[in-house]
Amino acid sequence: MDKEQYLEEIKRNVVLGHADKEDEGFDGDMEGTPGVSELVQEALDNGVEAKLILERMSSGMETVGGKFESGEYLIPDMLAAAECVGAATEILEPHLLKEGVERKGRFVMATVEGDLHDIGKNIVITMLKGDGYEVRDLGVGVDAADIVTAVKESGAQYLGLSALLTTTMVHMKDVLDLLEKEGLRDKVKVLIGGAPTSEEFAKKIGADAHCRDAFEAVHVLRDFSAKAA
Amino acid sequence: MSRGTKIPRYRYLTDEQCRLLHEGTCGLLEQVGIDVAHQGAARLLLDAGANERAGRVCIPRHMVDAAIAGTAKRIELAAKDPESTVVLDPDNGPLVHFGTGGQALTVLEYVAGAFDKRPARTEDLAAILRLCENLEHVDFITRPVEPDVAEHEMDLVKTRVFMENTTRHMNLANLVRVENLPAILDMVGDRGRVSFISCLLVSPLHMVDETTEKFMRIVEAGVPVAVSSCCQAGTTAPLSETGAIMQVNAEVLSAIVLGNMVRPGAKLLHRGLPITADLYGDGSPRWCQPDSIRRLACMADLTCYYGIPCCGTAGVSDEPVPSAQTIAEKALGITAELAAGAQFVNSALGLLDRIMTVCPEQYVIDNTIISLAKKHLTAGNRYDLVECAESVVRDSLAAFGAPFDDDDAVETAARAAYVVSAREDISSKSIDTQIETIGKAVCTGQSSTAFMRAARKGLRAGLLYNGSRLESAIDLERLHGAYEMHRNQRSDVCAE
Ligand code: B12
Repeated sequence: MDKEQYLEEIKRNVVLGHADKEDEGFDGDMEGTPGVSELVQEALDNGVEAKLILERMSSGMETVGGKFESGEYLIPDMLAAAECVGAATEILEPHLLKEGVERKGRFVMATVEGDLHDIGKNIVITMLKGDGYEVRDLGVGVDAADIVTAVKESGAQYLGLSALLTTTMVHMKDVLDLLEKEGLRDKVKVLIGGAPTSEEFAKKIGADAHCRDAFEAVHVLRDFSAKAA
Repeated sequence: MSRGTKIPRYRYLTDEQCRLLHEGTCGLLEQVGIDVAHQGAARLLLDAGANERAGRVCIPRHMVDAAIAGTAKRIELAAKDPESTVVLDPDNGPLVHFGTGGQALTVLEYVAGAFDKRPARTEDLAAILRLCENLEHVDFITRPVEPDVAEHEMDLVKTRVFMENTTRHMNLANLVRVENLPAILDMVGDRGRVSFISCLLVSPLHMVDETTEKFMRIVEAGVPVAVSSCCQAGTTAPLSETGAIMQVNAEVLSAIVLGNMVRPGAKLLHRGLPITADLYGDGSPRWCQPDSIRRLACMADLTCYYGIPCCGTAGVSDEPVPSAQTIAEKALGITAELAAGAQFVNSALGLLDRIMTVCPEQYVIDNTIISLAKKHLTAGNRYDLVECAESVVRDSLAAFGAPFDDDDAVETAARAAYVVSAREDISSKSIDTQIETIGKAVCTGQSSTAFMRAARKGLRAGLLYNGSRLESAIDLERLHGAYEMHRNQRSDVCAE
């Protein structure tokens, strides 16, 4: 395959959400054929620049987004495609560094103390990774101190907090207070989400944004970086 | 005297399929095991012969089979009114009982021809219990909403409201604080009158810490408790019906094993909810679509196969307000679960919006639906489940003034047919595939993403029903009138 063929094949596999050889792909019949991970490795071995691969994968995600809006794709299809890009980006990472290409940003994500719900949080993580962010997932039931330590250690620009219980959403405020206390509040943008939370609640506790779903998170982040630029 | 309705059981699964599902369940427990967060529980299981592998507790088959053999098969749930005793006895021509459920966060109030939504309060709990006193087909009460008091007061306020407002068996559902258990039992006096629900398992195959502690204390006290596990197939379990049933069953059985170690012959109800996730939408649970209705019925069938008392679930509508669609969903769900022979069917009255909301008027509708389901399934010696379900939907709509046209009839028939038809082969091979899928998913940090990715094929093969809605209007004035009548019937029943 020449360079262009590699790039097109990678994009096609992103659109079909075909992660690797073991994955079934969109129609469930792609097991055994090379997926995005294998193709990306092969392309790199054959001298294709990491930056071009990343760009072509993004163009693939645009196509996937369109298909999702039109109803042709459902959430699992969208997630599978985002996962392909997330996994491939890990492979590209050292090469991007060498080429001097910067990642979009670092994200820390957690479900707050006392709360075990993670389905929504995981969807958000996968979509963010697919959009080129580096995400550190702290898991569920994480207390404020651990969250703030992770933000400090990783130097993340963004923090995502999830809560599904009215009894645990109050812990989001604890995290914001502790960030303030540690002098980190203006270094990190805080996004919150989960069924009981709202725009109003975000304002009340002083978070930077409330997101109804993963797509809104992607858009909000675009707005943030547009404003920063 | 005991409440309940005797129904010839409709078999959704053959005995051979039940046997295969049991094999698969044991395979999961043996090979993949449970991630047990409660140290004491892990210790108990390991000391009794479970094996630790990669931090997970793998339970060998002989322990599972011993627990199934040893757990209580007949459970009697008492009530203030002796006529309201509920006897769960799956092996002896099971009696099916219906009750309320929750925990809803909001209440719909009928104001000037429309429904208004507001947060649920303690008064709502009392009002619902009083209303249910007047509804013939409410056999027991599972807590519909929690009182809106401080967390440390919830248990005792809830118990008091139950004591003052119902003569039925009191299923308090969750124990908010473990240290409140002795005080609750003191207040109740006769322990036989209360039971709980413990959600100590989180799919996939994770036993949590705090709720497990509560569960063990309840079992120790000899109080009946339903062991609950609710997956969402497609996000927290395989989308496959076989896979989801096996996984949820493994989760519930692991707690039944534990419970019987804490107290041999423990009074445990099997409450498995292998319902689906709405992968057409945002992944939230589908409670009352044909796929979920079928899976709940299959779960009840499997539980009866074991002879373990079954806490079933039916009639939680996915719709936000009472409507023709709401009635159609509930009528099908309730009929299917009644036919399955689940003995203690909760959540059957009042619940809307995927258990987020209750509505007083809805209790009246659901009481009617249950009566019609009983009428149609007991009309002759034998019944055709699809025909009966269609009749229950049609008659329930008629009772609340909703027209039923040809399109509605076609949709109703399609939904009912979906509930009785298998979409997957259950075989040793398909079971091994499911064990592998689940094993892989639990090993990744984000199992929900792994399950969603694996769901794509099944989604295209029709594992989630995709139909249309019933759009006709119900007669809200008539409904509200029926509610007022029931509410005012006899309000002094609880004065002792
Ligand atoms: C699935 C579920 C569970 C599962 C969780 C499995 C898991 N791995 O997550 C289990 C069974 C374990 C569970 C347990 C409990 N649950 Co629960 N659960 C739910 C349920 C049905 C669905 C939640 C869900 O996954 N939705 C689908 C996802 C995709 O949506 P989402 O989480 O909202 O996420 C989206 C957005 O909100 C947003 N988002 C979310 N987080 C974030 C974060 C950021 C940064 C951003 C940008 C965006 C974002 O993007 C996501 C993707 O689009 C809800 C009811 C409901 N419909 O919401 C109840 C619900 C949340 N649970 C409830 C309860 C009460 C409990 C229990 C206490 C039950 C019990 N008695 O033991 C326990 C608590 C355990 C604990 N300590 O956390 C109540 C909460 C009531 C309350 N007072 O707040 C609810 C509302 C149900 C009810 N009416 O009773 N639950």
